[in-house]
Amino acid sequence: MWQAGPIAFAAPWLLVALPALPLLWWLLRVSPPAPRSQAFPAIRLLRDLPPTEETPHRTPWWLLLLRIAAAALLILGLARPVWQPQTGAGGDGPLLVVVDNGWAAAPDWAARMASATAAVDAAAREGRRVALLPTAAPETGEPVAATGLMPAEEARARLAALRPRAWAPDREAALAALAAFRRAHPGAIASLYVADGVEHAREGDAFSPLAAALAEAGPLTVAQAEGRPARLLPMPRAEADRLVVRVLQTALAAPSEATVLARTGDGRAIASATLAFAAGATEAEAALDLPIEIRNQVVRLDIEPEAGAAGTVLLDERFRRRPVGLAAAQETTADAPLTGDLFYLDRALSPYAEIRRGSPEALLARRLAVLILADREIPEGREREALTRWVEQGGMLIRFAGPRMAERPDPLLPVTLRAGERALGGALSWERPQTLAPFAEGTPFAGLTPPTEVTVERQVLAEPSPRLTERSWARLADGTPLVTAAPRGQGRIVLFHVTANAEWSNLPLSGLFVDMLRRLVALSAGVQGAEGEAPLAPLEVLDGFGRLGPATPAAAPIPANRVEETAASPRHPPGWYGTPGQTEEAAWRRALNVSAHLPPPRAAAPPPAGARSEAIGGVPAERDLGPWLLALALLLLAADLLVSLVQRGLVGPQWGRRGIAAALALALAGPAAAQEGPGAAAIATRLAYIVTGNAQVDEISRMGLAGLSDFVNRRTAAALAEPHGVVPGRDDLSFYPLLYWPVLPDAPQPDAATAAALNAFMRHGGIILMDTRDEGSGEGMNPGAGAALRRVTRDLAVPPLAPVPEDHVLKRAFYLLQDLPGRYAGGQVWVARDQDRANDSVSPVIIGGHDWAAAWAQDGRGQNPYATIPGGARQRILAYRFGVNLVMYALTGNYKGDQVHVPAILERLGN
Amino acid sequence: MPVTTVPVPWAEALGASLPPLVVQAERVAQTVMQGVHGRRRPGQGDAFWQFRPYLPGDAAARVDWRQSAKSDRLFVRETEWEAAQTVALWCQSGPEMDWRSDRMLPTKRTRAELLLLALTSLLFRGGERVRLFGLPRAFAGRGALPVLAQSLPRAAAVAEDGRIPRHARAVLIGDFLAPLEQTRKVVAQLAARAVRGHLLQVLDPAEETLPFTGRVRFEGVATPDHALVPRVEGVRALYEERLARHRDGLRALAAASGWSFATHRTDHPPEAALLALHRRLAPD
Repeated sequence: MWQAGPIAFAAPWLLVALPALPLLWWLLRVSPPAPRSQAFPAIRLLRDLPPTEETPHRTPWWLLLLRIAAAALLILGLARPVWQPQTGAGGDGPLLVVVDNGWAAAPDWAARMASATAAVDAAAREGRRVALLPTAAPETGEPVAATGLMPAEEARARLAALRPRAWAPDREAALAALAAFRRAHPGAIASLYVADGVEHAREGDAFSPLAAALAEAGPLTVAQAEGRPARLLPMPRAEADRLVVRVLQTALAAPSEATVLARTGDGRAIASATLAFAAGATEAEAALDLPIEIRNQVVRLDIEPEAGAAGTVLLDERFRRRPVGLAAAQETTADAPLTGDLFYLDRALSPYAEIRRGSPEALLARRLAVLILADREIPEGREREALTRWVEQGGMLIRFAGPRMAERPDPLLPVTLRAGERALGGALSWERPQTLAPFAEGTPFAGLTPPTEVTVERQVLAEPSPRLTERSWARLADGTPLVTAAPRGQGRIVLFHVTANAEWSNLPLSGLFVDMLRRLVALSAGVQGAEGEAPLAPLEVLDGFGRLGPATPAAAPIPANRVEETAASPRHPPGWYGTPGQTEEAAWRRALNVSAHLPPPRAAAPPPAGARSEAIGGVPAERDLGPWLLALALLLLAADLLVSLVQRGLVGPQWGRRGIAAALALALAGPAAAQEGPGAAAIATRLAYIVTGNAQVDEISRMGLAGLSDFVNRRTAAALAEPHGVVPGRDDLSFYPLLYWPVLPDAPQPDAATAAALNAFMRHGGIILMDTRDEGSGEGMNPGAGAALRRVTRDLAVPPLAPVPEDHVLKRAFYLLQDLPGRYAGGQVWVARDQDRANDSVSPVIIGGHDWAAAWAQDGRGQNPYATIPGGARQRILAYRFGVNLVMYALTGNYKGDQVHVPAILERLGN
Repeated sequence: MPVTTVPVPWAEALGASLPPLVVQAERVAQTVMQGVHGRRRPGQGDAFWQFRPYLPGDAAARVDWRQSAKSDRLFVRETEWEAAQTVALWCQSGPEMDWRSDRMLPTKRTRAELLLLALTSLLFRGGERVRLFGLPRAFAGRGALPVLAQSLPRAAAVAEDGRIPRHARAVLIGDFLAPLEQTRKVVAQLAARAVRGHLLQVLDPAEETLPFTGRVRFEGVATPDHALVPRVEGVRALYEERLARHRDGLRALAAASGWSFATHRTDHPPEAALLALHRRLAPD
């Protein structure tokens, strides 16, 4: 190694060849270049020319320079120059590389590895031996230990195989391992400590002893990331209709931002929240507003852009749709429309919760979050015992009053009831039906406004008691409690003092009822049930980068009731735990998160005084210049070859002209190909979408139609070209069989020219597929699209519409379909109601709200970027099938309608 | 007589290119066109010369009845005697003629054939007969031009043909870079039979100026020999001097036989050379 300024040479003896360059100069000067050949008819006149001018032809100076430069580069390149070489670890003796490979190292792992590798490279050049000491326990469950001393090349391979772990580094264990290493190798060692800068001990300082021990053993270099916080994502807080996420970080001088992404099981981000940290702040909070249906799909939260196990939270059942059990006194009449006990409950809860029906005992056999009993007494015996035990374990029991309860109150009530009920209003009473008082702060219903038309005519009354006030969550205007609640064990019992049907009050008829029940279900502690000691095996575990993978060999099962208190460790890596092979595995697995048991991150103590500090990532890595110099030399030699060929006349100027022409052609090919004449649309059959002006929506439309065209081309004989975006009234629509029109909530009413163009398009057999993107499971995604649809179709000649009948050609044209899902399933699709012989009975408009384009969309890599809701490959396939049917319908009209009549035709033929 | 050694594919290629060549020749000839040169006395011909009174013995068919009806006497219409002369043409063939120094220039052969055909076209308009060396028959009439063009590959490689009539005129087109003795022999043989003629030397500009630079190995086109010139710039003046001397020799040998000599470069327009040639052939 010989260093000159920022460049060092690994094979400096080769530089001896540099003084030989003038020799090359001289050689090139004396030997003339090969003559170029020239055919010449008048050669007779050139023969026997007297040697009048004997000046030999010289190689031109610039060619000489080129060759000399190429030779010099060759020599320099072979001498293996290194730009800004790492200045070793100092001292002599072996090098010990200590690496913090806990959760905090994952975000900038590459930079850490570059820093450590540079040190190992420097050691390799100096011929030192290297040992490695990772401070986090390996995933095999073995204790923290240093490797033996080994050659640097081998250490480099070991270093490359090192991965961050999903748990915290154990510096005390590392200190012990260091002591063991020192006993084996007592001589002086130099060490590099690639530290993550976080104090992992819950209290005290574990970093300083380790650093001090290293400094004592020899020169110590501490490499740390600067200006980069370690971030931690604790468990989020589930509120009624949002998730509140909190991010903890080590304090940072400047304000910073972090983003938390909510992802579905297949890894797609469906929501994000941005958290802003003030300067010096260690904590920030933000809410992910998600409709409950969407929230149920979220299985993990990630801090973006930093990956890492501590920035990932897996969400299991406790954050999901809650299973709610419903039980009535008489199952037979419970569902009677408008009068049944459970009729209103079922409708209020089914959009937000998973409804289960049956007797309380049957319901409690499975895990349940909330049990609602509508005027059902609880007989003494096993049922009451089971219910009591369940509530005490954390279940939420919601009861509705009724004539039976008024007769025989039982102990599973939050308050003591007076016998009989109180009637308000009616023929024999002076009192008037009571309205609701505003909800008090501190109750779960705070913030809801009771509508004035909600009145209570009859209720059960509670015995006055000192605790009645605090147990009342809702009251009537006269102060009598309407909803009371009391904790029981870890659970809670809630009583509505009215019936669950409209007999005693019209509360179940109001929207308030839905909101109240949602709040109560959200309040429940989650899934409760007998988990017991059953071991949950690790199904998938997170690695240090926060990626899910198969369980490691050392991972051991956890008893179901101890998942909460288990901290992540090599034996219990964070991830999913459950019973393999269980049918409802996906629904019942439990998540173990690394961040649940980590203390808030705080900065580690500064390195000891004698240590050299180094920033990772900031230092430009050393660079081997050899290959570049050699490549440049080759380039120069190639240029020299070209020049020689030209000089000998083997490559003439016409080649140059051709080259320029080819380059020009290449340069012009791009723009030339992009220019398409106005008639280009007529050359091939293609789908088209109406350009809305919203770039994102237009891109989805384009990708969707491109994906559909691709699918149709693969599956059918139709050959569709790339889809076009069109503006009605400006572009000629007559080339397109089908227009896809995503109706935006803010879509303006089309002007006269647009409406005229669209009407002409429909009149001449075109089909417009209007998509409001808010149907079925996508309800509420695009509020206002319905109104926009009415607005944009005001001037269009839309025929009377009807839901797609079962035997419509749209469901028969290519595939036999039951329903027509897109990105959203369910909901209704509308087509023309009347048959119009003039147009082959083809409906000129198809109106739906399933966001079909998003379901069909394919990105550049052929993947579907938009998740289907509720999801599944089946829904995607069905969406494509609908697309194929739609294209067939647009291309062939009712030709396939005959298929519908096949049975009748066969019958007529006598078969 | 030496056999034409034109390879068949080349001949086919030439045949394919002939119609455009013929058209071009016609176009060039158009710019130099002039009338038929009459003999200024009555005889065979189309042009009216004079009326003369009918003499006994004249065929009745020769009486010009229209003129005779104007008076009481009979008149006979006499036309001018137009004597057709035979012009023998030769165009040098051989690989050295297929050379050009630049792709933008025509080869010497192309230019020589163009001049030959254009001259033929002019001669046909003048009513002359045209022969090609080595071919048995003469061509006449404007329709014969394409036929003559197609016969070109079959013409003799050396301008020697015993069938050329005495007192005919001859035009030899080529680069005449061969040793002077060869040319002198050809011209002398023709002159011995009272054939008067004209030599037109067609050269590529590079052959005249030697524009190459540096160390060049010159290789013969027809002959396999070569000459290595270490520095072409140095010998350029010498070459030009040698070329001038060669031309002087050609001019002298032509003058000795009563012939004329002219030069033409392929980068110059062919019209000028054609006009000069045509003037030479004009009757005295």
